[in-house]
Amino acid sequence: MDRRSFLVKSGAALVGSTIVPLQSCQSPAEIKKQLSGPNRKFGHMLLNGKFPNHSEEITTPVVIVGGGISGLSAARQLSLNSVDYVLLELENQVGGNSSKGSNSVSSYPLGAHYLPLPGKHDPDLIAFLKEVDVITNFVNDIPVYNEYYLCFDPKERLYINNHWQEGIIPQNGILADDQREFVYFHELIRGFKELKGADGKEAFCIPLSFCSNDPAVRKYDKITFKDFITKHKLKSPYLLWYLNYCFADDFGGKMENISAWAGIHYFSSRKHSANQTTDLILTWPEGNGWLVEQLKKHSISKTISNSVVYNVTIENGKCIVDYFDGMQGVSKRLISERVIMATPQFVNQRILSGSLNRKLDYLKFKYAPWMVANLTCSANLENKRGEQLSWDNVIYGSNGLGYVNANHQNVNLYTDQRVLSYYYPLTGDNDKEERQLAYKRNVDEWYSLIINDLNKPHPEIDKFISDADIWIWGHGMIRPSVGFISEVSALAQASIENKILFTHTDTSGVSIFEEAFYLGTQAARKIIME
Amino acid sequence: MPTSNNQKGFQIFLLLSVFVVATCGLIYELVAGTLASYLLGDSITQFSIIIGTYLFSMGIGSFLSRYFKNNLIRWFIQIEILVGVVGGFSSTALYLLFEHAAYFKLILYLLVGVTGTLVGLELPLLMRILKDRIEFSDLVSQIFTFDYIGALLASIIFPIVLIPYLGIMKTSLLFGLFNVLVALFICLRFKSEISAVRYVIAQGIAAALFIIVGIFFSEDLLKIAEATAYADKVIYSKSSPYQRIIITKSSEDIRLFLNGNLQFSSKDEYRYHEALVHPGIMNAATPRKILVLGGGDGLAVRELLKYDSIESITLVDLDPSITQLFKSNPLLRELNQSSLLSPKLKIINEDAFLWIRNNKRKFDFVVIDFPDPSNYSLGKLYSLSFYKELKKIVANEGCVVIQSTSPFFARKSYWIVDETLLKAGFYTLPYHCYLPSFGEWGFVLASPTDHLSDDIKGTLPSLRFINQKTFKQLTYFPDDMSKLPSPVNTLNDQLLVQTFEKEWAHYTQQ
Repeated sequence: MDRRSFLVKSGAALVGSTIVPLQSCQSPAEIKKQLSGPNRKFGHMLLNGKFPNHSEEITTPVVIVGGGISGLSAARQLSLNSVDYVLLELENQVGGNSSKGSNSVSSYPLGAHYLPLPGKHDPDLIAFLKEVDVITNFVNDIPVYNEYYLCFDPKERLYINNHWQEGIIPQNGILADDQREFVYFHELIRGFKELKGADGKEAFCIPLSFCSNDPAVRKYDKITFKDFITKHKLKSPYLLWYLNYCFADDFGGKMENISAWAGIHYFSSRKHSANQTTDLILTWPEGNGWLVEQLKKHSISKTISNSVVYNVTIENGKCIVDYFDGMQGVSKRLISERVIMATPQFVNQRILSGSLNRKLDYLKFKYAPWMVANLTCSANLENKRGEQLSWDNVIYGSNGLGYVNANHQNVNLYTDQRVLSYYYPLTGDNDKEERQLAYKRNVDEWYSLIINDLNKPHPEIDKFISDADIWIWGHGMIRPSVGFISEVSALAQASIENKILFTHTDTSGVSIFEEAFYLGTQAARKIIME
Repeated sequence: MPTSNNQKGFQIFLLLSVFVVATCGLIYELVAGTLASYLLGDSITQFSIIIGTYLFSMGIGSFLSRYFKNNLIRWFIQIEILVGVVGGFSSTALYLLFEHAAYFKLILYLLVGVTGTLVGLELPLLMRILKDRIEFSDLVSQIFTFDYIGALLASIIFPIVLIPYLGIMKTSLLFGLFNVLVALFICLRFKSEISAVRYVIAQGIAAALFIIVGIFFSEDLLKIAEATAYADKVIYSKSSPYQRIIITKSSEDIRLFLNGNLQFSSKDEYRYHEALVHPGIMNAATPRKILVLGGGDGLAVRELLKYDSIESITLVDLDPSITQLFKSNPLLRELNQSSLLSPKLKIINEDAFLWIRNNKRKFDFVVIDFPDPSNYSLGKLYSLSFYKELKKIVANEGCVVIQSTSPFFARKSYWIVDETLLKAGFYTLPYHCYLPSFGEWGFVLASPTDHLSDDIKGTLPSLRFINQKTFKQLTYFPDDMSKLPSPVNTLNDQLLVQTFEKEWAHYTQQ
């Protein structure tokens, strides 16, 4: 920046600082705050289990339970192959963890908000992305991505030592010893990226079913990531912070409560082709809600929303799905050849009939609760020196994950209002207690927790916030604890009599779009093939 | 009895002085630290170094106090006056110097050093003045008590009251005034013990008046600071929501600055605008419908209006303050020959990227005159996506011209623009010209079809710079500016912004 414009800016900052106290008279009541989350009324109905007897029986070849990414992906695959089905969704709208919201300023994510470029094991996903113009064409079989959907520059910045630095790996004011540990860690990861098991399969990749079963690799699932790091004598507080940040972001966990295998997978499963030097990602103002909009076009006429599935069983070789239609207030029965359960296991535990005798320890499934707040904000989020407002803006040492600028992918030069999506997972070991804590906080308590965090880089930001849409996910993403992937995952993915298939990502232990898309598509393909 | 009363009053008076002096001392330290953080960033480093330098300088002052042997009271008063003036004007001085000083940090620490040294002299001198008048143990106890209370007061009111309500300049000036007033009161109290007391009082009053004038005009000091940043007289300054607009004027030159960056000088802008407009017009088969993106000053439009064959001109400039200014100000209208009032012209104040994405009409010639890609926001207007959108709205036999920064100062950046246009499917014809007020400047002519020619026949005879012969020369690039193998600038990988920043840093570093 040239000095002249800087002087003008700092002058303005001085003048600004004399005006601020007058503005502080503004009543906080002017901020529109809202606390919401997935439909808890229907959830409680499930817990109580009191539903009227079904008044109608409908026959259909396939029933899909759950309209998250895996359910929608299965539906798309069935539609493409002209197989008829019914998709039942508990909520008012489909999308699951990739749901979205919107206001007059922007649409915004309520959950997942980006998709890394798919790798070579994902031809189906690549075909879908081509279908929706995210991939515009291929050059020598390498996909060319639509520039408007690739995350614009500047991508990430980190607030550390009172300064916004570029990227989220701490660099500003970091000592040489710490930097050496980062180098060591990256070398370690590079090794895992190239590692192959004795079965010839890649040690870590996406989808997870392509990963090697070699015990030499799977042994990392027997220890926590903390054990792994300790074994390598890594102890730089900056590195530890960075690792914990990544695990909170992807698993709602921390080094102490996730398996080393899952942690290593996070860093080493995404390998890019030779022409992609940087870690590119795809993103939209509404996050993966955009992908939901594209996916659901295939199933919109076959979707029944507001429906509470309360019983799934097999009788006389036919699948039975009983659900309560929340719009009509009546229960109905679907009789089908196959059922795709695209629902998380904490739900399946309640709705699968006991007679099915599924051998699964549901207590092994841990889900971190999450808070996602979308703040409509008119503040200038750039400090005098340091990196410009980026897509992902992280605060070092904070319990939150920072905020994403939902308006980042807009092409216009100036924006006076933006929506900031602020993420906060509750990473404690006991997910049940954390869930109670998340539900206990009222809207004002959540709001002040967010503001206290954002005040570090942006003092007085609350004066510039007009709306706060706070969303609580009681059961956010699955947390891959020790042993889950090697012991629980396969059991959870095993079908019941080849009639009831399970596609939710909590069966994999890693809640990512690619995995959900793969599981859903594969289940549908299996039905089509037979 | 009167003596003891007198003695008590005397003590209270002196301790109040210590209190004020101590408060002032800490205020100067905080002012320097705050200002250094504002101007240089990285508040931890700045505060830390400022505090260290300041305390160390106070140590120097204390050490030097031993060399003051006689006339202690007079010395003390004069030092007080000096502290008041130096400390009081420290923030103003730093603001004014920041623009010009090559070694700003050195000046900053020197000023902190001088203030610290003077403040460091105060207490030792005062203690020596008082040592025969007050019991030593009482003296030490009272002086330090009030010293520390003053420090506490300063550190609390500085962030809570002073900075928010007074601002940094008024704060330091106000406390400079307190310092001088203490000097004046002591002067009056010890009249009999000071030689040439009237002279000292006159000094104090002059300093006080000087500071009061400073406080009075401190609102304008920022403007002065800004004005000194420009060589000529600032005749217009306004902050729009998008940018800071400054116009300066000397006897024969009008200049426009946006966010401190020179946009044109009326002395040689004809070269720039002739080079921007005419080669493109000559290369467009039938230039009837024209689009200008940026260029709210109307100077490119002025050149376009020289062709009667042009039927309509659409000008898209984000900032209505600019187009309004160049439409209404007589001086500027003289410059653009009231081009913005032409019935052929339609002005649209919208974001160029959004507008071009939504526009469906085709244009025969598009003039792109955006600011340089100095940040990620502006960089979007030089991206592959933007040029792909652009290609959709240019007639096949038409063309586009793009101001593309300097191929000399920012050679890599210039050729990234060219490469990005090629990647978007344009055929390009790069050229450059010399502008006395900017140096070598570059343009790229681009067309969806391969018909661009460096041989332009039939240029208007009224032009002062561009003609057939000149343009041919402009398309030749000497070795120090010639084409480099370049990457493409995309929205997700804005290499241009990073390159541009690095290249210009060589020329703007002081």
